[in-house]
Amino acid sequence: MSTTLEKLDDMNKRTQKVMAGGGTKRIDKQHALGKMTARERIDKLLDANSFMELDRFVTHRCTNFDMEKEEAPGEGVVTGYGTIDGRLVYVFAQDFTVVGGSLGEMHAAKICKVQELAMKMGVPIIGINDSGGARIQEAVDALSGYGKIFYKNTLASGVIPQISAIMGPCAGGAVYSPALTDFIYMVKNTSQMFITGPQVIKTVTGEEVSAEELGGAITHNATSGVAHFVAENDTDCLEQIRRLISFLPSNNLDGSPTVDSDDDPSRTEEDLNALIPDHSNQSYDMKEIITKIIDHGDFYEVQPYYAANLITAFARLDGQTIGIIANQPKVMAGCLDINASDKSSRFIRFCDAFNIPLLNIVDVPGFLPGTNQEYGGIIRHGAKMLYAYSEATVPKVTLVVRKAYGGSYLAMCSRDLGADQVIAWPTAEIAVMGPAGAANIIFKKDPDIKTKAEEYVKTFATPYQAAKRGFVDMVIEPQETRPILISTFSMLASKREGRPAKRHGNFPV
Amino acid sequence: MKRFQITFKGQVYELDVEEISSSAPTIKKSAPAPVPNTAPVTVQTPKAVQPTAPASGQTVLAPMPGKILTVNIKAGDAVKRGDVIFILEAMKMQNEIMANQDGQISSVNVTVGQTVSTGDVLAALG
Repeated sequence: MSTTLEKLDDMNKRTQKVMAGGGTKRIDKQHALGKMTARERIDKLLDANSFMELDRFVTHRCTNFDMEKEEAPGEGVVTGYGTIDGRLVYVFAQDFTVVGGSLGEMHAAKICKVQELAMKMGVPIIGINDSGGARIQEAVDALSGYGKIFYKNTLASGVIPQISAIMGPCAGGAVYSPALTDFIYMVKNTSQMFITGPQVIKTVTGEEVSAEELGGAITHNATSGVAHFVAENDTDCLEQIRRLISFLPSNNLDGSPTVDSDDDPSRTEEDLNALIPDHSNQSYDMKEIITKIIDHGDFYEVQPYYAANLITAFARLDGQTIGIIANQPKVMAGCLDINASDKSSRFIRFCDAFNIPLLNIVDVPGFLPGTNQEYGGIIRHGAKMLYAYSEATVPKVTLVVRKAYGGSYLAMCSRDLGADQVIAWPTAEIAVMGPAGAANIIFKKDPDIKTKAEEYVKTFATPYQAAKRGFVDMVIEPQETRPILISTFSMLASKREGRPAKRHGNFPV
Repeated sequence: MKRFQITFKGQVYELDVEEISSSAPTIKKSAPAPVPNTAPVTVQTPKAVQPTAPASGQTVLAPMPGKILTVNIKAGDAVKRGDVIFILEAMKMQNEIMANQDGQISSVNVTVGQTVSTGDVLAALG
């Protein structure tokens, strides 16, 4: 190898080898399972031709069990950077065709490098997980690799958005890197996450469960709450990630990108005036309110299948990203329970970390009663909402559309938890408890209890008792909601609020 | 009562066998027969298998504690996914409980006015 041409040839040959991954046979198998390869996924995720690969020629240095003879092109993970809608992101994608995408020392080192670069540049990182797990031959080196990734995940938390896509198996310790990131996507039928697999469970407890039932996309989106989004297939998953990124700032010091909105900011919606049912024990779909208020009725719901009694979503008002937390009267009366508290507080903290203003739409009857809630620790879970709202310094706007009773009124970000603006519809019922129940206590011994109770409801199941004390800033006609919210958020854009210096608070986890 | 001696994998066991007629189902608690020269018998019971939850869609469960206000179905009715089959009054709200799949109602387990708690089976779908 002496001439320059030969050197170029040699480089091209080496590159081709890496690009071929685990070879045609394994790639065909990946396709047969309905999965894309790591490189195809990256190409689909990023803007066309924007991907720049790093560490293409990294190799492992394991010599245990004849591993020196095992070639692992690209070390089973493709890493680098590129753009989404022209904005820089870092990405890594595990390559299942190369030694099962297993994680060893150098595989981990490649991931750590892009994690560091993403933090240094202050841009999101997207991890695509498709790995059989630790490369057992590498022993504690593999373990150390996971540990390093977890540590960097934690350091990056709240600094840059971290997004995980589970697009294949992700088992054992490997699940904790995604769990430390902000959002987890899972693909139906081809992705699984679990700490211990069906085999181990069968041996230990005798339970028989399929991998999909145990840790599939639906399980983690609907039952465990581990995942935030479910995708029909690889393409859908990667397109959804692009959509999520469009709402998010690149880092904790940046603002979210502004989208030119041709939706009239002064648009009023007459339908909103008639949306709340006449009787407060009737339900309606909160999403109708959301779609009528926000730009083009277009919102991206986070965890739509988990704790559906509370909606968390990204949306835009006059082109600016907001985070919406809203009770859903249609599901379990819109009450707060353990799962809803957990889901909302994590969402609130994400928004606060990344300068995304919060809109809280309140129609909440209370906390769900029951032994399973109390034994499950609704006290400490409910406390998360209080903490997350109180801690948040981003603009916080609370819109009370109907019920706001007792502790749950506070938990949905009342004035006292630092809401910057509290806006109420005339249908709002801000009260210490359900008015009928309250009347029954106050007038218990009164012979004329029925009339008194009706009077009580008229006086106290309104926004005006709270407005009298200034807990509510405005009572507005529902149709005016959009223009008023846009004005409110634009007024709050320059909000600055300090907090006492501390190492960190003790969040009630 | 007949007494048998059996040898199983080299171990000798004595068995008391009693024939019971179907007309007189008496249950006798007999003292364990002394088994000379045998090691304790370890009985390999199958590991407890958790009752697997019925495949989703076969039962309609109460999502929260409350009172049944309306029952819109009876056994044998055909329902479609999303049909409102009960109204459950809970948390000061009339909550619509919907069929979670297409099918035929095989049983209705609650009546109007009944109080239910979280997870109670309201109806089964065939």
